[in-house]
Amino acid sequence: MIGISSPVVRQDWISCPHCEAPCRDREVPKGSELACARCGATVIVHVGRKTLQPSMALSLAGLLALVLANVKPVMDFEVVGRVQSGFLLTGVAELFRQGYAPIALLVAFAAVIAPLLHLLSVFYVSSACCLGLRLPFVLRVWRFASSIEPWNLIPVYSVATILSVVKLKLLGSVTWQFGARWVIGVAVFSLFAQQTFRERLVAERLRKMGIKA
Amino acid sequence: MKDDTRVSLARALVATAGILYIPSNIMPVMTMTVVGKTEPLTVLGGARELWDSDLPFVAGVVFLASFLVPLMKIGTLGWILLLHGTSLQRRRRNGLHSFIHKIGSWSMIDIFLLAVLAAVGQLGVLAEVRAEPGALVFSTVTICCLLATEIYKPRLIWEG
Repeated sequence: MIGISSPVVRQDWISCPHCEAPCRDREVPKGSELACARCGATVIVHVGRKTLQPSMALSLAGLLALVLANVKPVMDFEVVGRVQSGFLLTGVAELFRQGYAPIALLVAFAAVIAPLLHLLSVFYVSSACCLGLRLPFVLRVWRFASSIEPWNLIPVYSVATILSVVKLKLLGSVTWQFGARWVIGVAVFSLFAQQTFRERLVAERLRKMGIKA
Repeated sequence: MKDDTRVSLARALVATAGILYIPSNIMPVMTMTVVGKTEPLTVLGGARELWDSDLPFVAGVVFLASFLVPLMKIGTLGWILLLHGTSLQRRRRNGLHSFIHKIGSWSMIDIFLLAVLAAVGQLGVLAEVRAEPGALVFSTVTICCLLATEIYKPRLIWEG
């Protein structure tokens, strides 16, 4: 590990979030960070007075947007006077009907179930840290949030929705509906929640509550 | 899961993705019917159609995400796994692993595109979108790559 000036070294060992190389836990001064000597990833950053309130707010907003994205139609497609409305889960149901259950399940998991579980777990852990609540299974939920995060593909889904409109406009007329805003909303809230839900910050806040990560 | 199992499983998944990559690009992923005219579309065919419709940016995004990203993932993961257990190019392998971990999920764009098009494209002979077996093969390639990246942890590059 690359050293820093007069750090407060603790007794605990932590591992690099990327390559899992062991590192002595320590506090780093403002503006400094501790990089892993093995892979170069940032292991410890200065936490200071930062809180997990942004993660809590963003994950809650994401959850609300996810509900609205599922109950409101995303778009209307019209060809020669006939109109079809599309919801987030209509494509899943249609793929099931056409006999492509594995693809339907994959889309349902990556675009609805994984974002829901990810945002729920981020909200659970960040509210425990912000409100100082010793909620049950908080460490397990934190680990779960890390493992489900790569499967939260709602940002990719929202880009696919925009691309599909471009394609559909070649065939007929497309009208955006209210649900589309919420699909993009979930994507934006998810991305920002991921950015603010820093591993080091969570570990530090949990440590202050007497929960050892 | 034991480290040896992780490596073997990741190798098997990358090999499966590599074998299925060519059929996934040859087989149509969907059939589009527009005003009675039916047309099967492959991954590259969809990008070419957008290009021909004067939408080069969108065609570029589809081409990158659906064709190049899976190819890059298979090639890079194959190379990383080939060098597993050696000390060669560890930093570069580590950097590439992070990179494909970040970009990997974008190859799902074609599957989501199919789901969105199938959702609204149910107007009979006027406009209908049907999934084709190629979509299953393409999804398998995507999932194999995503799972292989998750299973083969960066730690194994340094400790293997």
